Amino acid sequence: MKEGAVEAIVSGLKHAGINFVSMLPDSDFTDAQRAVMNDKSFVCVPVSNEAIGFGVCAGAWLGGKKPALLITTDGIMASAFPLATLNMQKNIPVLMVVPYRGSLGDGIWFMAPYSFTTEPVLRDLQVAYTVVSKVEEIVPAIKQAQLSAEAWLRPTAVLVTGEIIFEEA
Amino acid sequence: MKKPDCIKTLDRKLDQDVLVVTPTGKTYMYWEATGRDAQISQVNLGLCTPVGLGLALALPHRKVVVLDGDGNLLFNLASLADLAVQNPGNLIDIVFDNECYQSCDSFPSATSQGVDLEGIARSCGIKHAITVRDLGDFEKVLDRGLRAGELYFIVAKVEPGEEVVPLPRQEGRENKYRFVRYIERTENVRIINPYSRRRKKDFIPPS
Repeated sequence: MKEGAVEAIVSGLKHAGINFVSMLPDSDFTDAQRAVMNDKSFVCVPVSNEAIGFGVCAGAWLGGKKPALLITTDGIMASAFPLATLNMQKNIPVLMVVPYRGSLGDGIWFMAPYSFTTEPVLRDLQVAYTVVSKVEEIVPAIKQAQLSAEAWLRPTAVLVTGEIIFEEA
Repeated sequence: MKKPDCIKTLDRKLDQDVLVVTPTGKTYMYWEATGRDAQISQVNLGLCTPVGLGLALALPHRKVVVLDGDGNLLFNLASLADLAVQNPGNLIDIVFDNECYQSCDSFPSATSQGVDLEGIARSCGIKHAITVRDLGDFEKVLDRGLRAGELYFIVAKVEPGEEVVPLPRQEGRENKYRFVRYIERTENVRIINPYSRRRKKDFIPPS
C-alpha cells in the first residue's frame, strides 16, 4: 500500500468513532487489516465469510458499538443477502472500508468482474459510497461515511482504489 | 419434544433482561408472544448466530440466547467456526432441529440425512455442544448453560409441525427500534443518532 495509507485508515476509523471491526483478508489490504487487528482501540472479529461479518456487525450495532467491515469487493458480492435482509430491510448501519479490487491497475485476471459489478451492486443495495484514490482523502472520507451511516441508518462504503492499495509492478 | 413447549420453558427460565435473537418463521412468532422488550426478531437465513455473536461481544456482561433453526444455521455453517473462535461465555446458541424446512412444506433439511450439528460444533471447538431429545433434558442443559459463564450450543431435536398462531403485528423495523431503545435505556448508551452532523452552537449536546 502507498506510504501513509495504513496509518490513514486506522486514524480514519478512530476519528469516526469506530470501536468494533470485522474482516476477511485481502491480499493487497492485509497491512491495513493487520494494523487494525493489532490496535487495542478496536474489538476485532475475523470471520470466515463476509456475510457472517455483516451479521456480527449488525449484532454489535444493536449492542451499542460502532462497527466497520474491512472487506474486499468480492466480499460485497458474497454479502448481498445480509445487505438486503438485515441492513436494507431493518435499516441497520455499518461502515465498509473496501480495497477496490477491479479498479484500473489491478493485474489479476479474475478481478475484472469487480470492475463492472461493484458500484452497480452497491447502488442496488442502497449503499452510499465514495471512491478515494489519494492517501490524504482517506481520513475525511471515512469520517463522512460514518456520519452519514449513523444519521441515515444505512450502510456506507469507502472504496480505496488501486492507486493507493497496489504495490508498484 | 415440541418447539412450543421448549419456548414455554425458555420463557419461564430466562430473566427479562436476557437478550434473545430469533429467526423468521414460527419461532419468532412464539417468542414475540412473550411480549418481551429484549428480543431482536426476524433475523433471516444464516444470520441469527452471527447477530447473536456480535451482540454477545458488544455486551459481554449480558446473557444472549439465540433461537436458531437447522435450515437457518446450515445456510451459513461457517458461523459455527467463527463462534467457536470467539467463544463468548455469555452466549447460549439453541438450534431447534426439526430436520426440515417447516415453512416450505417440510422439505427435508440435511440434518434429516444424518448431518450432525452437535458433531460439527464440537469439531469447531465448542466444548459444550449437546443434543437433547426430550423436554426434561432440554431444561437441565438450559439451566447449566444459564449458570455457566461459558458458550453453550444446544441442538434441540423437535418434532416437525407447528401450532396455528395469530399473525404478528410487529414489523421488523419496529422490533429493531424497540430493541435498540431498550438497550439504550438499560445500558445508558446512545445508539440512534439521527442528527450526526449539526451546528453545535444551536443545540444541547446529546448525553
